[in-house]
Amino acid sequence: MSAPHEAVCRSIAPDGGVLTITATRRPRAGRADVKCSVPGDAALAERMQQVVRLARHTEPRFDSRDQVVLSLDRTPPGDWRDWELAAVLADRMVRGVFAPRGPVSANGWSDAWHLGRIDGRALVNPPAGVLAGGAGGLPHLGALNGQPDPAAGVSSARAWFPLHSGGAEDSLGWVEVSVRPLSGSADEDSVTAPDLDPVRQAAIAAVLSASRHFDGRGQGQWRTTVRFGEPRFQGDSYGFALVMADRIARGREFLARGRIIASGSSNAWHAGKVESVEAREAKCALIAREAAAGDRVLLPKEWEAGLPAGLREALRARGASLACVERIGII
Amino acid sequence: MFGSLLKNFSLHRPLRQPDFDAARLGVSAIALQAPAGSALPGGCAAVLVDRNGRSRRLAAGGKIAAHEGEVAWCVHPGPYSCELAPFAAAPEIGLRVSIAIDASDPRATHQRFDLFLASEGGAAVELNGFAAAMENALQRELAQGNLDLPPCTTLEEWNVFRAGFNQLMYTRFGVMVDDCVPVDLGAARDYAQVLEARLTQQPVEQQQVQAPAAITPQQAFVPACEDARALRRLFLELPCLMCAIRLAALPAGQEQFRQQQDLLRRLDLVSLSVGTMPALELRAPNEALAQDEQLRRARHSRCAAAALDEAWALLARIKNGGEAVLGTSFDEADRIVANLEYETAGRRLTVVATEEVAA
Repeated sequence: MSAPHEAVCRSIAPDGGVLTITATRRPRAGRADVKCSVPGDAALAERMQQVVRLARHTEPRFDSRDQVVLSLDRTPPGDWRDWELAAVLADRMVRGVFAPRGPVSANGWSDAWHLGRIDGRALVNPPAGVLAGGAGGLPHLGALNGQPDPAAGVSSARAWFPLHSGGAEDSLGWVEVSVRPLSGSADEDSVTAPDLDPVRQAAIAAVLSASRHFDGRGQGQWRTTVRFGEPRFQGDSYGFALVMADRIARGREFLARGRIIASGSSNAWHAGKVESVEAREAKCALIAREAAAGDRVLLPKEWEAGLPAGLREALRARGASLACVERIGII
Repeated sequence: MFGSLLKNFSLHRPLRQPDFDAARLGVSAIALQAPAGSALPGGCAAVLVDRNGRSRRLAAGGKIAAHEGEVAWCVHPGPYSCELAPFAAAPEIGLRVSIAIDASDPRATHQRFDLFLASEGGAAVELNGFAAAMENALQRELAQGNLDLPPCTTLEEWNVFRAGFNQLMYTRFGVMVDDCVPVDLGAARDYAQVLEARLTQQPVEQQQVQAPAAITPQQAFVPACEDARALRRLFLELPCLMCAIRLAALPAGQEQFRQQQDLLRRLDLVSLSVGTMPALELRAPNEALAQDEQLRRARHSRCAAAALDEAWALLARIKNGGEAVLGTSFDEADRIVANLEYETAGRRLTVVATEEVAA
């Protein structure tokens, strides 16, 4: 994996200004693993070093060869801690652990960085495009790839799907499934999707009920909440992504290292079948553009014969993988 | 130096268990330490390890004739069956694995399982503990992306995974994987109940937030045990690892040969450093070291042992992929050796140098 030598992450200060954290990487040569500097505040620099070191505990791969130098461009106000997430992300970007596609702004703080948890943010009403830590945004670091938090009591997972409208607005949308155990009480097994209209809510509940029927487990066990990144869209090609997110949230599916990008629907989720959807070429092109290292692309089996030439190889070269699936579940 | 290492080790290995229960072999235990002179149970082999970690095997039947200073284990070849969860965050899907301990391989200079017994065996190798170690090794390889087991795994991907997994288990533990199938563990490990338990614990945690972070989870271990175990592993396994790396793949061309020689030379120095490691509890002869420094030293030893695990995993990948992998794995090897150097150097320090913190 090639990592940059410098990375920048921004954070929005309480006065509305922008704070910039710059991370640079150089050979360690016997120095400390992380060095931080904040103009005129040595205590804060020490705190930043501590935050970054703690957050590194959640990474599987340790490399003692590099030193990362982090510097803040100005002194943040006294007890404002939203820079913490930006520092952690800058440290990951400069080592190639997190490779975003564009510039990143992030606000968030945590008391448990060693668990990868992000407790909250001071920023109210974050503008679009800002990674906002805490509930309703990014609750822990693994959520960047849609993975469930291994320590939380409510398990939530995301999967991405191509949103295709035939214009320049095409992008990947995400669906998030959160499950909370029903404590064997009188509660109904329920699926709610607060952002959606009743028709689509019923469709989602039907998909989840059918796929859990195929699974043989998960019925009458969970209270489920479904959220979409962009709640206004047409079509039902989100179905496959929804089912995968649900299976991952319930701990019943192998995990990818990156995101899951799926497209497909079905009239027979109760049999686990994945069926084709429209706009194959446009969606494949979109996926080829958006996929990043570690991502897992899942497409219907019927698409396999007509996949654009070189898509599989291009994805593999980028570190992503592709599978055409006829049926969900264990091999 | 070395004496202190052995002394520490014997501290944590209790005296010979008088209750050598051969009936457990092949069921819940893979290997048990056996008293010298006792009869070898039917179907079992004996592995004898001397003080320097050299091992030899006795075939089935007869008595365990141990020389002076040798420790004997009775090993049942299996087969054993266990269930592994490849992802900690997905407890309801797992692999059912059937493993067997191989008869000795005449081509190998050392038997990996015998080395495992010598360096990590302890008084008994329980099946549960062994399965946990296998699961740990598997999870780490998957998290680092060296093995892939993605959602909706296709048959080709499964075959690639199986080849890598089999080689990993053979190279790291010396066991043969006879069979491995994905299984639904939902009945045994109900995720809903796990989450339920977490949710009921949470209010308690929130009350404790006011107290300063007292004990982080990584401190919950006994430094002396952990340190002795890790150093014992490094001391015995590093020479075998170097030998295996030489044999695994021939470097193609002068440049690769030079790189390989350089890595082996650095590993040699790490090995020397481990063999002459100062005792955990001493700052200087007859001067005790502060408790928190001992903890720091033990943490370095443990990280060094983790790097050793990664080195075995890398060796498995080289053995699996042959010379094609060798060319691309030098950066990974360089990282692992650099980590070993860093951790062993940290283990030697008596205090963290102040300029390191500031630099």
